[in-house]
Amino acid sequence: MAHPVFTALLAAAFALGSSAALAQGKPKPAADKTAAVQESRPAITNEALPVENFHAQCIGCHGIPGYKTAFPEVYHVPKIAGQQPGYIVAALKAYKSGERSHPSMRGIAASLNEEQMKALAEYYGAPAK
Amino acid sequence: MSRVFFIIIGALLASSVQAGGNADKGKQKAAQVCAACHGPDGNKPSAPDQPVLAGQYYDYLVRALGDYKNGRRNNAIMKGFAGQLSKQDIEDLAAWFSSQTITALHDQR
Repeated sequence: MAHPVFTALLAAAFALGSSAALAQGKPKPAADKTAAVQESRPAITNEALPVENFHAQCIGCHGIPGYKTAFPEVYHVPKIAGQQPGYIVAALKAYKSGERSHPSMRGIAASLNEEQMKALAEYYGAPAK
Repeated sequence: MSRVFFIIIGALLASSVQAGGNADKGKQKAAQVCAACHGPDGNKPSAPDQPVLAGQYYDYLVRALGDYKNGRRNNAIMKGFAGQLSKQDIEDLAAWFSSQTITALHDQR
């Protein structure tokens, strides 16, 4: 069910978290547990995953010619294939920082690190064949 | 009688096309405002982080320029340019750039 790498990372994160708790010599409150789980996220996303593994979250909207947003307002989802990679990275960073406000894109961009943004930008920036 | 209706409907359609932006006027405006960075047709960005506009969707371009103008998209450079555009200018520019067929943008992803 769970991916082996994911499981291993989760176990590693858990081990780190509990050893830190032991080192402090007192049980960790619930808030720290949440922090430990959040810390484990970058470790997973930093894996050198092939771009095919995470551009899936783009194609549902950007991979359908003529597709339109449904929320918060209706307009065409922009074409990103063939776009300048530097602009794609800038746009994703602007969504992540909150400078751009589209809710779906903010959520997705927040889950990407810079390396993944660059990989996606290269993938989508490739010219038509 | 029905002929009158057709004329009225025809006039309404024609005016709605006009309201959707005039590409020729957009071309002139683009030459003054946009071309230096995006290229006259929106297909030659002068820096890697500037987008290709040629062939982009009309309604997305209208929205992007509106967002820059009203500050919803917070970009100092684009706010300066979009801020001086009227609603009609924005629609004209969007009509011009969206109607370009020579573009790097494509549908293959």
